[in-house]
Amino acid sequence: MSKKIKLSEEELVLALRNREKIAIEALYDMYSASLYGVIVRIVIDEATSEDVLQETFVKIWHAFSSYSEEKGRLFTWMVNIARNLSIDKLRSKDFKNHSKNQELENNVTSIDEQRNTVYKPELMGIKELVQTLKPEQKSILDLVYFKGYTHVEAADELGIPLGTIKTRLRMAIIELRKYFN
Amino acid sequence: MEDVRTFIESGILELYILGDVSPAEKQQVEAMVQKHPAVKAELMEMEKALESYALANAVQPSANQRNKILNSLVTNLADDATFNKKDEASVVSLTEPVTNNFYKYAFAASITLLIGSLFALFNVYNKLQNTSQQLVAVTSQNQRISKTVNLMDQQLGVFRDTTYKILRLKGTSNLPSGGVMVAWSPAKKKVILDLKTLDMPVNDKTHQYQLWALVAGKPIDLGVFDKLPADTANMQEMKPVALAQAFAVTREPRGGSINPTMSEMMLIGKF
Repeated sequence: MSKKIKLSEEELVLALRNREKIAIEALYDMYSASLYGVIVRIVIDEATSEDVLQETFVKIWHAFSSYSEEKGRLFTWMVNIARNLSIDKLRSKDFKNHSKNQELENNVTSIDEQRNTVYKPELMGIKELVQTLKPEQKSILDLVYFKGYTHVEAADELGIPLGTIKTRLRMAIIELRKYFN
Repeated sequence: MEDVRTFIESGILELYILGDVSPAEKQQVEAMVQKHPAVKAELMEMEKALESYALANAVQPSANQRNKILNSLVTNLADDATFNKKDEASVVSLTEPVTNNFYKYAFAASITLLIGSLFALFNVYNKLQNTSQQLVAVTSQNQRISKTVNLMDQQLGVFRDTTYKILRLKGTSNLPSGGVMVAWSPAKKKVILDLKTLDMPVNDKTHQYQLWALVAGKPIDLGVFDKLPADTANMQEMKPVALAQAFAVTREPRGGSINPTMSEMMLIGKF
């Protein structure tokens, strides 16, 4: 694998704005794994997830002029693109038919693949993190952040009032801030 | 400050980061972020935390994806128009412009041809007009010439006709140098003056010359004539007379007299 490129967020934004080739490589090297982590948790199927990852980068590249630093960080903007494309893919008719077939024929392999992605070596540090978050905080955060649920959908799914959802989501993020920042 | 805290604690910033807000809420958050540095700082902290969480949960895509995805982006970078070109290529757009052009050129050619034809027609019409004018001119000239020829033929006939007697009148003491030729056919009773041979002064407006025939000593009026300044004079036929011993010319008041003014006798000739 070729050398990975890293830039500061400011440098990267500037390079993307100037349509420099190096920006594309830096973007991929810095964020592909984080974005793919969100995509593959929503889409599950690996080949489809890889398609969505490509669509995500194409959209980031083409729609970059609509990004503004004033409104938030680059990653926040990108992860929302990745999440929306993943949900679109999940809801598309083609994919629904495709995943039905998958369920019948490749049930076991599909689950293996899923387990495989979750327990990849680079994710080992997550154990500690999991202990930081209370289970009810983590389940809501993952549902919204990694499964693409709206907070209203999450409230329905878990049978919990909207206000509680919002509070737990906020608490979860406060815990993350303590842990990371 | 209280407002800012309430805003932060409402949980809307979290939903904003997750893209789970209505357009109105999105605008509200963006306005607050711009207005209050505290809100912006809070947002940034949350974003960083979630970004770290995503990184902690990152899944490395398979190695072959890197080149595949980078190539697709570089292709876009190198030539954004590539896809557009493909789209255009699939559109069958060749025949239409050709047809359009054909009608355009055909129309232009028709107009040109029409203008050319009108111009040519106009030219031909002008020429025809000229030609018919010339024809009229030539015809009238021809008529004039044939008249002249006719007249000359008549006049020449006088000399061919053997019944004519030619007599030269000579000047009297009033006009010693005068003279004129008279042709007279007693059989046809015709008297003709050859004005070309008339040697007389030009008569004024109040006078004319009058020709007389002397028959048995009596003068008979044969008509008046003029001596014109320009040399257009020709033969002039006078009044008829069957018998005459002599001819004479007198100067009379315009229109002539019943009896000749003997004192004004200019020419005389006897057979």
